[in-house]
Amino acid sequence: MNDVVIRTEGLTKFYGRQRGAIGLQFEVWRGEVFGYLGPNGAGKTTTIRTLLDFIRPTRGCATIFGLDTHRDSRAIRRRVGYLPGELALYEKLTGVELLRYVSHLREGVEWRFVEELATRLDCDLSHAIHTLSHGNRQKIGLLQAFMHKPELLILDEPTLGLDPLVQQEFYRLLAEVKADGRSVFLSSHILPEVERVCDRVGIIREGRLIAVESVATLKARALRRLEVHFAVPVPQEAFARVAGVRDVTVENSILRCTVMGSLDALIKAAAQFEVVNVISHEPSLEEIFLAYYSGGENHAA
Amino acid sequence: MLRNVFLKSLRDQRRALFWWIVGLLALTLYLALLYPSIAKTPEYNKILEAWPPELTYTVLGEFADYSSPEGFLNSSVFFLTAPLLFLIFTIAFGSNAIAGEEERGTMDLLLANPLPRWRVVLEKFAALVVLTMVLAFALWLGLAIGAVAVDMDIRLERVAEATLSGALLGLAFGALALALGCARGKRGLSIGVTATLGLAAYLLNSLAPITEAVKPYRKLSLFYYFIGADPLANGWNLGHVAVLVGVTVVFLAVAVIAFARRDVAV
Repeated sequence: MNDVVIRTEGLTKFYGRQRGAIGLQFEVWRGEVFGYLGPNGAGKTTTIRTLLDFIRPTRGCATIFGLDTHRDSRAIRRRVGYLPGELALYEKLTGVELLRYVSHLREGVEWRFVEELATRLDCDLSHAIHTLSHGNRQKIGLLQAFMHKPELLILDEPTLGLDPLVQQEFYRLLAEVKADGRSVFLSSHILPEVERVCDRVGIIREGRLIAVESVATLKARALRRLEVHFAVPVPQEAFARVAGVRDVTVENSILRCTVMGSLDALIKAAAQFEVVNVISHEPSLEEIFLAYYSGGENHAA
Repeated sequence: MLRNVFLKSLRDQRRALFWWIVGLLALTLYLALLYPSIAKTPEYNKILEAWPPELTYTVLGEFADYSSPEGFLNSSVFFLTAPLLFLIFTIAFGSNAIAGEEERGTMDLLLANPLPRWRVVLEKFAALVVLTMVLAFALWLGLAIGAVAVDMDIRLERVAEATLSGALLGLAFGALALALGCARGKRGLSIGVTATLGLAAYLLNSLAPITEAVKPYRKLSLFYYFIGADPLANGWNLGHVAVLVGVTVVFLAVAVIAFARRDVAV
């Protein structure tokens, strides 16, 4: 893949206390949705704001479209749409006024497209922004990021505060961007969201990128806590050596374990007894991290 | 009014500007209408002579005849009131321009657009220049109407020169407030430091004529270049105007460079 949109080389930013990014090395490719996954405070926003030249790297550098993020920032920003993480808007303006203002500050905004987006996201543009709910503000933030059809969208926690219906519409927008051959870099702390919309994922924790994986690989490595309820008490030995299963405990008729990747082997092992119920817990981010730390092999791509 | 940063900055001030104009017109008209009663009271100078000089020099300035039109306008308008008002406006605007937008969190949204940072600073300062000139015009207009109404023997172009000097002084401090906001991103710090320096500069200029210890340092005060050559009586001293403009340009350059080099706060 030589169509690299974003490339960071040892990008390091010490920023405030305990906030920063250390030695980041990753690429985002043309036509993909790249998820940047990590808990709050992991360094996601710091990375993004460095890419946009709001803050400057302590060490290392980054390029977007092959241009230096600091020296050629203006040329880059012409081709990028950005949604800030802690979105603040001009409170006294209405949605229309704000979007008009932003559209004058850059080229290539077709107002008809803005209206189309507003309709699709069911966005209230006629009221002063200080009267709007968080979700409505977030929609205006998305509109200003999407409205000039940028080659690259950099979205910091884009679905924060969006109601589920609007989230679906937002996912459709992402799919369209991707279908156009444009690229998306989005940060999130919600694993299912990243799994759903992204092609590849970079996982960041405490400022360090601990893995860059395709979503398929991530799912394969994902740990899932599982509880299987049987009709009768079962022996622990029956599950101790099942592939991909660990942390097995059996209490009478209830099996608790952690499964990495596919559930197939466990289900087949369980099938020899009468299964009453299976309870699956989506792995939390912390559990994903644990998988990477305990996994040992195949760290950062 | 939302075509660019300059016009939006003007638009943001439209309500405040309206009330500033109303206030300035009311104040200057009121003061001008007060003049005939003072001109008819020759004891006025005697009363002021009885004041301790520290007090007269601090609040009224060093003017010969307080009941003459120039003396009256200098001591009641130009010496303290006009620069105070200009400084309040320009320091508030200057410290808010960059640091305020940063503190409210909208700077990310603004800078995500393909604008260079220097342009944001310059457009906001250009808006400050226009707004300050509008205030200067309102102040002049109020005095002009009042002067005509009470038949004050004063040249209106001299009033304009004194008013503009005050506006330039305000812009110099506004540029300083802008530069501090650009350098540190903290509105409160910018207001505090600039206002303190403004007060110090005012006192230095006012008290230097009667205080031996600070007399040699009077020219360090920007207020000296505003009122020291008495533009109301003598017209503009081009050298002094050049100092005010030059200092403003230097502060503005510092503002642009400082903001371009620094990390923008979230």
